[in-house]
Amino acid sequence: MNEKKVVEIRHLIKDYGTKGFQTRVLKGIDLEIFQNDFIAIMGPSGSGKTTLLNILSSIDKPTQGAVMLDGKDITKVSNQELSRLRRDKIGFIFQDYNLLDTMTLQDNIALPLSLNGVPARECIQKAQKLAWMFGLEEHLQKYPYQLSGGQKQRGATSRALITNPEIIFADEPTGALDSKSSRDLLERLRTVNDQKKATILMVTHDAFCASYAKDVFILSDGMIQCRLSKGKDRKEFYDRIIDMQASMGGDFS
Amino acid sequence: MSMVKLAVQNFKSSFRNYLSLILSMAFTILIFLNFQYIVFSDAFAMLGEQNKDYIDIVVNAILIVLGCFMFFFIWYSTNVFLTRRKKEIGIYVFMGLSNQRIGKLYMMECLMTGILAMILGVGFGVLVTQLFQMILLAISDISVEIRFHFEPEPILITIAVYLIMYGIFVIKGYVSIVRSSVLEMVSANRQNEYVRQKGWLLIGKAVVGIIVLGAGYYLAVKDGGQEVMGNVLIAVVLVIIGVYLLFGGFIPFVFQKLEKNKKFLYQKQRTLWVSNVIFRMKKNYRSYAMTSVLMLCSVTALATGFAMKMRYDNIVHFRNTYTYQIVSVRQGIGEEIADLIKKDNQIDYSNEIPMLQLDPSLYHAHYEGEQYVLLSYSEVAQAAEDAGLAFEMEEPAADELIEAGNVPLISIITEESGITITLDGKEFRQTDDVEVPYLGYLQESMSFYIVNDQVYREFQSKGQQLYTYNYRIDDIYNYEASMDELDTIVSNTPDSQTGRIAIDPRNPEEEWIKILYSVGVFMFLVFTLASGSILFMKLYNDAFEERERYGVLRKLGFSQKTIEKSISRELLMTYALPFLVMALSSFFSVHALGKMTHTSLLTVNVVSVGVTLVIFLICYLCSILVYRKNVFLSGISR
Repeated sequence: MNEKKVVEIRHLIKDYGTKGFQTRVLKGIDLEIFQNDFIAIMGPSGSGKTTLLNILSSIDKPTQGAVMLDGKDITKVSNQELSRLRRDKIGFIFQDYNLLDTMTLQDNIALPLSLNGVPARECIQKAQKLAWMFGLEEHLQKYPYQLSGGQKQRGATSRALITNPEIIFADEPTGALDSKSSRDLLERLRTVNDQKKATILMVTHDAFCASYAKDVFILSDGMIQCRLSKGKDRKEFYDRIIDMQASMGGDFS
Repeated sequence: MSMVKLAVQNFKSSFRNYLSLILSMAFTILIFLNFQYIVFSDAFAMLGEQNKDYIDIVVNAILIVLGCFMFFFIWYSTNVFLTRRKKEIGIYVFMGLSNQRIGKLYMMECLMTGILAMILGVGFGVLVTQLFQMILLAISDISVEIRFHFEPEPILITIAVYLIMYGIFVIKGYVSIVRSSVLEMVSANRQNEYVRQKGWLLIGKAVVGIIVLGAGYYLAVKDGGQEVMGNVLIAVVLVIIGVYLLFGGFIPFVFQKLEKNKKFLYQKQRTLWVSNVIFRMKKNYRSYAMTSVLMLCSVTALATGFAMKMRYDNIVHFRNTYTYQIVSVRQGIGEEIADLIKKDNQIDYSNEIPMLQLDPSLYHAHYEGEQYVLLSYSEVAQAAEDAGLAFEMEEPAADELIEAGNVPLISIITEESGITITLDGKEFRQTDDVEVPYLGYLQESMSFYIVNDQVYREFQSKGQQLYTYNYRIDDIYNYEASMDELDTIVSNTPDSQTGRIAIDPRNPEEEWIKILYSVGVFMFLVFTLASGSILFMKLYNDAFEERERYGVLRKLGFSQKTIEKSISRELLMTYALPFLVMALSSFFSVHALGKMTHTSLLTVNVVSVGVTLVIFLICYLCSILVYRKNVFLSGISR
């Protein structure tokens, strides 16, 4: 791995609850994410996936440990700095798309740029380029209610990519999609990862979804239990993930 | 759990949401009750029968206006309420409740809200009646003693009117719930599918709206004769329609154009607030139009009040130009009369004006008993100089005349030139209409025409030559002292016929006009506050819907500052658009009013728009605080 280190997670611990009645959800997680990585984090219910993602995306704070993004510990920087980091360095993809229903798809995709004072011409160019990559060029002037779930999620992904973030956090991106739309989205995520060298961290419970990643980390009981790396074949990778899931047991959802 | 218990629980848990609704309805009831009290109060009876009658007419007219206002206000607020409740109530559908039972639940909650508002409104209303009347009288500068007495009728009338109106809309809401489908109820808050309207429809509405509004403005200020009244009524209707179309067509059209212009849109926070304004406009344009019209009413009401006060002062001033007026067939008795007056009073100024009372066969009177009297230009000029009155007219030509009229409270005829008057078969063109009281009180009851001296001499043989001797004394309240002496000169014999007029400065004949002033001020405050609170309520409700949207923005990492700026801009539009439309329209309405009352009301217009601006600014700042608080409660920790 000679790529640049984007995110470094050092001994992350998270407790919930008041003193005396604390539950340790994350029990010391160490993880390094390099540029052009495509990582999926899997784990059964209650394994701490969502907590981990919340801390990484700076929505939640850890009890101990550090998350270094772009050389800064995001658990310690000021709110203002954090807003800036989230805006410029991180792209988000949510399960429920979170497109704004009052504006067109183009305005939605261009939103992060236009709010950052980027000239209109550049906003439009980038939005159109991404729309082309994600097969949305015909839908740019439509409103979210006129789009299918798959189109909305591809739109949301375009929005996440438009600022050229250091890393993209995707929280169950295919959770609300049918299998065809899921496959379509995942293919495009892989293309973005391959061609644009985008770094992606995806949380999912779905082995099929995870099989599109290069590496899969299985989280269980607040710890990373194992790491699977893809060989050449996605199908074979998928089978390995399934086997691993079966051997670990538990409810993967 | 029984339905009643469920309704009570719902009511308790969402009491905070109902609070603005309850308070504003209670306020409306309070105002209505207080005006109702005036009709039944004996406070104004002391001003005399006639004044009381006039005041009752005024108050009843206001009650009708307030009644209409209450009707629309209840309609509006129950509607807002219904949309919000539908979604929450709709969840019960999944629990297996029938629409009828959900409707009943809604009705029960509504009744609780309505009755609480009524109790508050009537309770506080009764408590403040005396204070209200005192304030009203103090502003009106009328001194009458007010005693507190409890009257059941106004309370019963108010309750009845309110309950009927409220009942209608509660039943309407019930019917709407019973008829709606499950999907409709659950998604009542989320009908975002109709964000944009068709372009051609908007353009159509915009064009028609501008034409209609322009026509309304034009008709309002157009000069004319008898048709002015009709014009003004049509103008009112046109302006209301125009304002609705403006908010329904023109303004959304402009914003949609702005949204299409990405160079404009992709700057600062515009993407956010412009799209939100468009979204909101479609939903709320009726509210904006309503507030615009309401504010227009309020500014016009204030202007009316001021105009009436100025008119009243003018009328009093006009009437008291002279303390005594003696009309006689005898010439040159001025000194003699002055000596009589000087026995008890000091004369401030005096003058003499000869006048020619024309024989009724020479002219065609507009109404029975109307008397036409000619004055000679140079004599009027001399008299004006003696009495220190303004005199600014040119001498009329041989076929022209100038009317010396009285000060009417309101005159629908705004175009005076071009009127012709035929005297003895000869046509005269009226070139001007002066309101200077050259002949004091006499000018209120007779039609005086100033002609040039040559014409005056020509007519001298065709009428009765009379002389008026006018005196103003230093202490006008001591006018009765000289009455006995003056009576000695009064005569009824044909060759020395002489009449006397004395003006009582304390005459309360027109006191009722003063009430118009205070009522105008009051209506202005009520309507301005009401329109401010309508917008405030609307935004308060919208803030709940916006939570999700702003939550997304925060998840995406936009700073609180960016979001706050966007909110400020958006809310500014909500307040500024109705305000600007009102400010423009008020210029025309107040101007029209000024013409009809012969009063310059520009200052009143500017001041009242300024006061509205201040009230709106306060509402705007409050809205921002409340909105932010609501939006940022949306779950995200940082």
